[in-house]
Amino acid sequence: MKPASISVVFTKGRREAKFRFFSPAKLWTVQTKAAGRSEEKKGRIGNANSEMSSKENCRNELRTAIRQLSDRCLHPAAKWAAEQLVGIEQDPAKFTPANTRFQRGSSSIRRRFRTNEIASATPLTPLAGVSYVSTPVMEEDEAVDNDFYLLGKTYFDCREYRRAAHALRDQTAKKSVFLRNYALFLAGEKRKEEESIELTGLGNSEPTNCELITIERELSTLRKNGTIDPFGLYLYGLVLKEKGNQNLARMVLVESVNCYPWNWSAWSELQALCSTPEILNGLNLSNHWMKDFFLASAYQELKMHNESLVKYEYLQGTFSFSNYVQAQIAQVQYSLREFELVEVIFEELLRNDPYRVEDMDMYSNVLYAKECFSALSYLAHRVFMTDKYRPESCCIIANYYSLKGQHEKAVTYFRRALKLNKNYLTAWTLMGHEYVEMKNTPAAVDAYRRAVDINPRDYRAWYGLGQAYEVMGMPFYALHYFKKSVFLQANDARLWIAMAQCYETEQLQMLEEAIKCYKRAASCGDKEAIALQQLAKLHRELGRFEEAAFYYKKDLERMEAEEREAQNMVEALSFLAEHCREMKRYEEAEVYCARLMDYGGPEKETAKNILRGIRGDTSLPSMDVDHFRP
Amino acid sequence: MATAAAFGVTPHKVSVCVLLQMYAPPAQAEPLFSVSQHNHLGLYLLALTKSHGDFLEPKLADLLTQLKEISGSLGDWLIEHLTSRLSSLSSPDDLAALFSEFRGILGGTEPAVIEDNQVVLDPNSYLGMFVRRCILAFNLLSFEGVCHLLTNIGNYCKEALSSCLPYELHGLDDSVNDLESSSTYENMDLENIVFQKVTEEMEANKQPSQRNSFHLHTPKALSGLVQDIEILAGSISNRAGKSGETCSSLDTSASGARHADTSGDMFLRTTSQLQGFFMEQADAIEKDGCSFPLNGFEVILNRIKKLAPELHRVHFLHYLTCLYHDDYFGALENLRRFFDYSVGIGGFDITPVPSRSKGFERYETGLLCLGMLQFHFGHPKQALEVLTEAVRVSQQQSNDSCLAYTLATICTLSSEMGSSSTSGMLGTSYSPTATIGTSLYFKQQLFVLLREALKRAESLKLKRLVASNRLAMAKFDLMNVQRPLLSFGPKASMKLRTCPVTVCKELRSCLHLVSEYGSESPTMTIEGAFSTAWLNNLRRPMGASVLSLDNGVGEGSNAFQFCAQPSSIPRSVLQLVGSSYLVRATAWEIYGSASLARVNSLVFATCYLDASSSSDAALVHAKLIQHLATFQGYKDAFSALKVAEQKFLSISRPVILLLKLQLLHERALHRGNLKLALQLCNELGVLASPFNGVDNQLKIEASMRHARTLLAAKQYRQASEVAQSLFCLCYQFNLQVENASVLLLLAEIHKKSGNAVLGLPYALASLSFCQSFNLDLLEASAKVTLAELWLSLGTNHAKRALTLLHGAFPMVLGHGGLELRARARLIEAQCYLCEPNYSAVEDSEIVLDALKQASDEFQVLEYHEMAAEAFYLMAMVYNKLGRLEEREEASDSFKKHILALENPQEEEEEEDEPVSEMLVEKN
Repeated sequence: MKPASISVVFTKGRREAKFRFFSPAKLWTVQTKAAGRSEEKKGRIGNANSEMSSKENCRNELRTAIRQLSDRCLHPAAKWAAEQLVGIEQDPAKFTPANTRFQRGSSSIRRRFRTNEIASATPLTPLAGVSYVSTPVMEEDEAVDNDFYLLGKTYFDCREYRRAAHALRDQTAKKSVFLRNYALFLAGEKRKEEESIELTGLGNSEPTNCELITIERELSTLRKNGTIDPFGLYLYGLVLKEKGNQNLARMVLVESVNCYPWNWSAWSELQALCSTPEILNGLNLSNHWMKDFFLASAYQELKMHNESLVKYEYLQGTFSFSNYVQAQIAQVQYSLREFELVEVIFEELLRNDPYRVEDMDMYSNVLYAKECFSALSYLAHRVFMTDKYRPESCCIIANYYSLKGQHEKAVTYFRRALKLNKNYLTAWTLMGHEYVEMKNTPAAVDAYRRAVDINPRDYRAWYGLGQAYEVMGMPFYALHYFKKSVFLQANDARLWIAMAQCYETEQLQMLEEAIKCYKRAASCGDKEAIALQQLAKLHRELGRFEEAAFYYKKDLERMEAEEREAQNMVEALSFLAEHCREMKRYEEAEVYCARLMDYGGPEKETAKNILRGIRGDTSLPSMDVDHFRP
Repeated sequence: MATAAAFGVTPHKVSVCVLLQMYAPPAQAEPLFSVSQHNHLGLYLLALTKSHGDFLEPKLADLLTQLKEISGSLGDWLIEHLTSRLSSLSSPDDLAALFSEFRGILGGTEPAVIEDNQVVLDPNSYLGMFVRRCILAFNLLSFEGVCHLLTNIGNYCKEALSSCLPYELHGLDDSVNDLESSSTYENMDLENIVFQKVTEEMEANKQPSQRNSFHLHTPKALSGLVQDIEILAGSISNRAGKSGETCSSLDTSASGARHADTSGDMFLRTTSQLQGFFMEQADAIEKDGCSFPLNGFEVILNRIKKLAPELHRVHFLHYLTCLYHDDYFGALENLRRFFDYSVGIGGFDITPVPSRSKGFERYETGLLCLGMLQFHFGHPKQALEVLTEAVRVSQQQSNDSCLAYTLATICTLSSEMGSSSTSGMLGTSYSPTATIGTSLYFKQQLFVLLREALKRAESLKLKRLVASNRLAMAKFDLMNVQRPLLSFGPKASMKLRTCPVTVCKELRSCLHLVSEYGSESPTMTIEGAFSTAWLNNLRRPMGASVLSLDNGVGEGSNAFQFCAQPSSIPRSVLQLVGSSYLVRATAWEIYGSASLARVNSLVFATCYLDASSSSDAALVHAKLIQHLATFQGYKDAFSALKVAEQKFLSISRPVILLLKLQLLHERALHRGNLKLALQLCNELGVLASPFNGVDNQLKIEASMRHARTLLAAKQYRQASEVAQSLFCLCYQFNLQVENASVLLLLAEIHKKSGNAVLGLPYALASLSFCQSFNLDLLEASAKVTLAELWLSLGTNHAKRALTLLHGAFPMVLGHGGLELRARARLIEAQCYLCEPNYSAVEDSEIVLDALKQASDEFQVLEYHEMAAEAFYLMAMVYNKLGRLEEREEASDSFKKHILALENPQEEEEEEDEPVSEMLVEKN
């Protein structure tokens, strides 16, 4: 059942790829299903050359970029670029199997879902002449690398930042200037982290990077002189962001990525500064395939999941073996609550990249939700062996304990994760859940509140806050939080139900509002099917029998569809029978009564009574009810 | 752990310890100090550790300046010693040695070994504790911590030296130079302050950014100089500003901005000092309301948040600022954040209420605050919902004091919001059909609730709450007739009158609060305020030093005694007592004693103005000005209004605006400028909120004035329609005091329309209302109207009218305003004239006397219509008497007034400030 839905998703991506000259929004609406195989093939052949060359372009760009990035010790960005480089499908003719070993087995998902054609069918991004910078040819300002630069870089690589900065102190070449400032920045960061550990319990608990001012001063003069390179701009943006000057930081970063789009670190800093769709749309970004990566991740952060998914699937066309893209797709699917699919993707990822720790916390969440004890413990063990001092690892272990019901231990590990990264959102929220389980509501409230203050768009934490206050018997106070969470995640039935239940509490008794909420929940596809039932019940309590009957009927249909038998069924049937009788729709009533007779106990008796009543009302020749047996 | 977090060793603390070491030298050092100098230094150190004027510890430069001021010639020696001591620290071991030396400051517990000259610090004294805490905190430091301290001390000294340089230069020059330069700065800054008042917000917005760019390009020394000047400006503004509070907060905001860019070495003061700072700021916010500078303060709060994320009280202050700047969402968000984080404890190690064992202690307080927030923003329904939840939760938690506060809040809420909006929620038996029944029922409920709240507060000994409950009770008694809750049969006596005695009793018992304050408030903050005031005083660069150049040492102590005597009674208590005076004034206004009302307002204005919130202050000014207008005419009133407007920056003070509109309307009506009057009362109506049941007082006022304008325009039908609907409104909300005046207005309308018979019942009804609420003055004026009505029924009723009038005279002449007195006189004269056995020749003096007085008073009021009538009568009498000259004179005046009445425009133009201009200015 699930694979089908996945293939739908993938075909969507494929369909879109063919109309690559339209805007994505338009593509989404194009629903031509006529796209036959032959046509596809033709297109493939027609585009084959340009595709090949664009992929080749891409590869070349990335290769150069990686070198340049590592020259400047921008290791994370270089790492990211290298991953993407390998993520591009290689030409099997040119390479020996050894070269493609990274890609081995990576197509198993596609095999499973019969989607392997797409990969090659999808041409590369805006490349068809749209890309404005072709190759990252930077004028290498020192023909022969200066000796001091080499020394500085080695120090840097050994993580001796201050030494590196010192070695590069009088250098004027751009590369060296950047490296010196970057080294200074990192030295400051390192010191800052050390201080934050040293100073815990001394009151002054938020140390700042003390190098920021000097770096800012130098870079701003450089920028004014116009002698700053894109890397310098990136660093400048970083510094500005640290100092809280968001607008300027955004401007500078945009400048940087427009000049040199292959620096993923710059993109991700920029993305962190785009907190609303308006800001994102206001950015003046030049066209480049890196922009798609950026947009995809920005959409994802802004909870525009579908847009993000489209982008990623589009990117997968070129970077078909990129673990990064795959993990991001998993993340989006996770937000869309497609747990099965996420699990499959992660299994695949782990096969290809067994020592991966990034994003694995999400996998553990999925396993937690599916209550896979052994898989979770296996995962925990694996990440623990890989790198135990990663917040993700701690979070996974905590999840494991939480699943086992050992909440104290879970809290300990969440705390450790938070010690490693104070702004680790998930850990705060999950710790809040643990505290709720442990009935320590003030601590839970505190944890949730921290999560919310880190990211006010985290609906789970808002929901948790509401829940905590509801537990404390303050439903009216809780409502505010539920409203917040519902505002952020308007199509989540669980949130609406929680809010409705809050309205329904005996302290508030705001039934009208509760009904409205349940209606929303029902329209959002309420999986646990509380909404319909509650709607029926509430309407009955308020004496609106017509509406109540409507919802009971709906509920009944749903229960029939899902083949669930429950007490609710009996309740619905007996109400409907009674109601139909009162409305003098005797035939309907008889049908319900007949169904009610299936159940034993008092309901059977009531059914009989109703039937008798009907006979009396209609004054039909009375049948012997006792013989009325199915 | 907690104490360590709250009390870290900082360079400032180290230097205080060094100073303490000089204060109490370990061995028998040479007696450097005279006794007074010594004491003075001690006091200074004490103040330094207690003051809460700022949230950051002072820089070394500031410290040095202050030292120079307090100890005169010895200052140099102290500074020398201190700086050399601090700059000699070059390795962690030096620090360790220093702290082990500090141990010597403290005396042992046994007093055996003290020598003659030696000063030993008692380890249990405040300063002794301070040193002990420092030593303890140092001992707890890890090696990294010691290193930090060392680098921090290094920076601390470096900054001071660079900014000290210009200071030293000034010192070397002759002091005249110094004086001159600082006085020019003073002028500049005073201008600045005036400017700032207008564009406070803008300034505060700009400040940080400007400073930033400025500092980037100036050498350190210059920036240090700038900082010094800012301090000057701050202290000057403290002294000079009328609204000292605003200025001082501006000062702190400036200093906040100042600190904002010098990153790195900033240290918060101790938590108790911070707590004092927060409390002071909260007071200032509450007092100044929306004129409190928002953005500047926000900068400070953000800094504190960054420096000490565990101090959650910051969120509360954020909430307060948002609340008073009408930022609903901001207030809501911050309030919730505060309670989410701290459960209301606020992150202080000293909590006023020791936390109880149960898990969630103070969420009910959060509910209470939220309720008040909703109330403030005019959402009575939500407020009540929240407050009921608060009641429930605090009952569950058996938090009695919170319950008492909640009940009191509900009382105020329900008494202010009127019955219509709340009756459905308070009472269980709600029936929309019987509105009268429910409104009475509602009043009963409110009464019971008030009594309950009062009892609870008394039993819990929450003195302030008791006082404010008593105030609420007095208000209730003032406005409502008390009926026995249960009455059996005909024998139960039904005395349908309000009882002024109980009102006075309640108000008086409110005053007991002053004598009882104290026990509830933490004394620490008071001492802190004391110290802050003293330190600020020290900083005064000139004033004091010019006055007392010769007696160098004494200057500080002088200032200490005379300038900085902060009241020892907490602000909130003063505020409460002050508002009891306000209620008194209102009560007397209603009861009709003009002089007592005025006296009470004056008492408030002289004694409690400093402590009261600015809206209360504006209210009392409005009362006084109104008094002036009714008793001395508009000229004085308007000149007083001008002063008040300057004082309160009328944009933010609706009370003053309202007053202005009222006065203008009154005057326009008297002058007969009806178009303007109509325009004015429409403007008045716009001030009220469009929602039903909110701003009732204002709405009633507006439509009352509307009716009067229509009446003056002789549109009787419309006037009576307006008055009728007004009556309905008053009835709906059970506003019986207002009812009396509306009824009187209706009688007036009927009288003017020539339908005296119809007017009589209204006048009589009004009379009975007045009697049952003890509205003596209104009663007198009702009697006057009644007399007029009788008179207009025919001359044969003149006698009756006259007796009525004479009965009302004592009240009218004793407490009535100009208009009422003049009217009474005029009618008196008319009565005499109408009497059949009146002979002009014999009794002319009585009539003429009355007429003369009436005409004089009408002239003061510029009430042309009535003045003309008085002069007309006068002319007739003179004519009859054959005194032609006087007759001509009277008829001239008559003509003048009639002309003025016919072209009211001209008069406006003569004024130095036409009304249109005033209106523009107001807007």
